[in-house]
Amino acid sequence: MAPKYKLTYFNARGRAELTRLMFVAAGVEYEDVRLEREEWRPLKETSPMGQLPMLEVDGQVMCQSGAIFRYAAKETGLSGSAGWEEAQVDMFVCGIEDLQTKLWEVRFERDEAKKEEKKTGLATFVPNWLANYEKLCGPDGHLVGAKLTYADLAFFNGMHDILKERADTLEKFPKLAKVVESVNENKAVAAYIAERPETFI
Amino acid sequence: MAPKYKFTYFNLRARGELSRLIFAAAGVQYEDYRIDFPQWPAFKEKTPMGQMPLLEADGKVVCQSGAIARYLARETGLGGKSSWEEAQVDMFVCGVNDLIDKLCDAHFASDEAIKEERTKALGPYVTKFLDNYEKLGGPDGHLVGTSLTYADLAFFVGMHDVLKHRADALEKFPKLAKVVERVRENKGVAAYIAERPETNI
Repeated sequence: MAPKYKLTYFNARGRAELTRLMFVAAGVEYEDVRLEREEWRPLKETSPMGQLPMLEVDGQVMCQSGAIFRYAAKETGLSGSAGWEEAQVDMFVCGIEDLQTKLWEVRFERDEAKKEEKKTGLATFVPNWLANYEKLCGPDGHLVGAKLTYADLAFFNGMHDILKERADTLEKFPKLAKVVESVNENKAVAAYIAERPETFI
Repeated sequence: MAPKYKFTYFNLRARGELSRLIFAAAGVQYEDYRIDFPQWPAFKEKTPMGQMPLLEADGKVVCQSGAIARYLARETGLGGKSSWEEAQVDMFVCGVNDLIDKLCDAHFASDEAIKEERTKALGPYVTKFLDNYEKLGGPDGHLVGTSLTYADLAFFVGMHDVLKHRADALEKFPKLAKVVERVRENKGVAAYIAERPETNI
């Protein structure tokens, strides 16, 4: 019998969206719990490491977003072929995490002067990062291999806010644009994206 | 036939040591290539993402410290014995990486005031981390399961500077002290530790 998955996070994309996208893309049922801050406070003390997201599988709980999405990737068959390909997929996702960290640092910076400074930094970082990924990316609309992996979903997810700000960001990066297209072509993902709550992050 | 591995990083523990310990614990041969800072700018151009560490296996290259460690853990059987165990091991390693990030953030801060602030915050952070891990860790000298996994090695790596600073840091955490003991008892690890260069971080 299929395991019962329950994913708990805030009402945000943040560190849970990649896992949500995997369940959706693979057509795997899961409970998508989104907590308000006041709901989280009493649960925090009894959670494994006082952090979200958490994933419950048949009653057993784990935390740490990376561990969760890597587990979900294997459960949903989206982690790439075992061995070297799995490592490459993992590598791409790590790099995307680095990008997201930089993006979030800017979005959450309250000091206006520091924010401007960080934005300037991003203006150099992002094009270089994209140029690198374009160079390493596969030619068929997938970062690695010939079919969808969670690296493609992670890239799609990581690009969300960048593309929202500038829809033509991937104009000069045709292989990467194809990856975003491939993900958009997944009917379940498209349906999910159309319905999901709009969130700041 | 076993692949020819070459692991490239700075002459530091930081984001390279976990992979080196996996090789050591599993008794797997590899070339431990350490780059000096002056060599780095020229070398950087030739890397996939302009970063280290790198793992080369029979001429193929992968980067991102987490992806490398996870690949090596799977290849050497140190990743956990089932999917769920693997996820738990991953979770513990993620938590240790958070700790190492905080230690590095404090160590490498260039602004004196920021450095002092971050170093001060380390005390309570480390205590909370250890409280948590003692609660979650297994009773047999292994964070997960009944034999060595790279979660134990990661914990050992994370604790190195904490224990150097205070040798009795694990006095109140008997299960965690046992984990460190088991790692030190591993012949491959003990031999490697005895020979490795002393580094600041």
